[in-house]
Amino acid sequence: MPDLTAAEPAIDVRDLCVDRGGSPILKDLRLSVNAGEVYALLGGNGAGKSTTLAVLMGLLRPASGSVRVMGLDPATQADAVRRRIAYLPETVALYETLSAYENIAYFLGLSGARPSREEMDAALDAAGLQAGARTRRTGGFSKGMRQKVAIAMALLREVPVLLLDEPTTGLDPVATADFNRLVGGLRARGAAILMVTHDLLGAADCADRIGVLAGGGIVEEAPAREGLDVLALHRRFGEAAAG
Amino acid sequence: MSPVLRIAANELRLMARARVAQLAIALVVALSAVAALTAISQGRESQEIRSRFQAQADREFDGQPARHPHRMVHYGHFVFRPLPALAGFDPGVDAFTGSTLFLEGHRQNSANFGDVRQSSLLVRFGQLTPAFVIQALGPLVLIFLGFGAIARERDSGRLNLHFAQGVKAGQVVLGKAAALSVVAGLILAPALAALAWLTVFVGAVPAAALMLAAGYAAYLLVWVLATTSISALAPSSRTALATLVAAWALSAILAPRLATDIALLAAPQPTRLETDIAIQRDLKKIGDSHNPDDPYFAAFRASVLKAYGVTRIEDLPVNYRGLIAIEGERLTSALFERYAERQFADQRHQSGLALALGGISPTLALRSLSMAASGTDLEGHRRFLRQAEAYRYAIVQRLNRLQAERLTYSDDSKRNSDPGAGRRVRIDPGAWRQTPDFVYRPASTAESLAASTPGLLLLGAWIALASGLAWAASRRLERAGA
Repeated sequence: MPDLTAAEPAIDVRDLCVDRGGSPILKDLRLSVNAGEVYALLGGNGAGKSTTLAVLMGLLRPASGSVRVMGLDPATQADAVRRRIAYLPETVALYETLSAYENIAYFLGLSGARPSREEMDAALDAAGLQAGARTRRTGGFSKGMRQKVAIAMALLREVPVLLLDEPTTGLDPVATADFNRLVGGLRARGAAILMVTHDLLGAADCADRIGVLAGGGIVEEAPAREGLDVLALHRRFGEAAAG
Repeated sequence: MSPVLRIAANELRLMARARVAQLAIALVVALSAVAALTAISQGRESQEIRSRFQAQADREFDGQPARHPHRMVHYGHFVFRPLPALAGFDPGVDAFTGSTLFLEGHRQNSANFGDVRQSSLLVRFGQLTPAFVIQALGPLVLIFLGFGAIARERDSGRLNLHFAQGVKAGQVVLGKAAALSVVAGLILAPALAALAWLTVFVGAVPAAALMLAAGYAAYLLVWVLATTSISALAPSSRTALATLVAAWALSAILAPRLATDIALLAAPQPTRLETDIAIQRDLKKIGDSHNPDDPYFAAFRASVLKAYGVTRIEDLPVNYRGLIAIEGERLTSALFERYAERQFADQRHQSGLALALGGISPTLALRSLSMAASGTDLEGHRRFLRQAEAYRYAIVQRLNRLQAERLTYSDDSKRNSDPGAGRRVRIDPGAWRQTPDFVYRPASTAESLAASTPGLLLLGAWIALASGLAWAASRRLERAGA
């Protein structure tokens, strides 16, 4: 693993341009996420949030610009990058006929990890999935329960970077608060977390910085500190999204 | 465990937990097993019946009382084509062409008693043989179990979860294909067991059985790769299913029918009636041995008299009627032979066209290989017809020679008007018993393998094509990022 200096961000995107089907999706996007930081990337539908994640995972090649994840280029070192990131899609799709334990063992096994039952229990405890649910088939799991399984996988992999794609969409307020607590726990462990969302309130609750993506680039970036004027930001977010 | 094996093992675990998949696999394996058992038992039974009937026909011919040899020429003789040891695995054209011939003088009869003429219409659709189960039903089960292997992963978002673990698209495609290959192995297992049984206990040629095993394994591998690739390339699992079912219908149902129709159109054959009329016309052209003014037979008589140095047929040391019978049979047989060879050439042309169409359907390529290796292709039927015709000619000419050498012309001419002459022209029944029995010589192993090779090569080309498709699917998945 390349050594990162303390000053180097875990995720570093500079002047990123991505075209899809001849149309520009991202234009000169710049963003960075440091270790132990949660960055919320806000944007309307089609703003390019998921495209940004795909580029970071090495699933899409940029037209131009520079992208580094833990100092590695996802376009040319996709395998190495993927070993250092955990990805939570909007809907965590687990195998419904497998239990939480079996899903974790399978997906982690793909990356070469073989966690013991005790290690899985510790991660699931941290993620907050009740013990009685762990041997049940995940077909009956709620979205929040599935996310907890995915978070447990991220914890077990001890990856330095987490990519979260619309993680709180469809969650009730209690589950959202639970999730935000989990994200806080991961940040405390030193993970760099990039969360794409259009949930401004949720972002303000758990992120360190919020960036508004519109027209293919960041149009506004604000620290999500105490006293952030969420309503004003929401208004500007709406205006930016409307173009 | 490598990611490929892990993905394959997980796919199999998912199938094992899905009731519909369990049912589909159990059903096709049960059908394959029943077909294999039927192949073994029917093969043995049919072989016994044919041997019994052949022995009975031989006994009846040998047991004929003292007769005029020409009556024996018309009494005729039945010959049965022995069932190839692998015919139970793939009956091929046997069910349609028949396997029994009635041999008599001056005629070349068609083979009879094909299964389709003795059974219901269902037999024409497809008998429950290992060949039918694997050719038609095997791919359908693979499609049913595999169409969503990758498409469903992508639709649900699990594919990205795989990629996020550092798994490459090619590993996903290989892993899913490996799991489907295990299912293909299950479908194939009863058929392989039947082949082993037929080789060890029924005397099938091991090389032919191996050729069949390789051909059917290659065929299922083509479907495994195609199913996995289409699942990866199609925009949704529903589209993948529709595409694959259409490909199956085209390959396994439509193409064989189309191939037959195209071959018939490209190389049309005269109907049986047209051929019979043409033969009769040509027979008349040869001449009439009963007409003393017939130019051909007048010349023949003159040449015989000259050869023996006599002026009257009554003075010949041999029975002239027998000589006429020998010459007549030689001429008609040559004519039959010419028509038969023309028909065989047309059939070979048609078979060649049908095999060439194997380029549009792996099922056609497999059928060609399967029938050739099982000894139930048209070539096998033609081999039987040729040997039976050679046997017919030999026994008819043997009887004609008896007539020429053991009867006098005088007795033979008066046999219907003079009871004494009628008795004297009857030959001792011992002569019938000296007639050799019909022994069918099947294709040699080398001939069988040579005939199967084009089908195997075509299947190899199909595997290469399907592998290319799988490679393209992996590249596209990798580039598109699910």
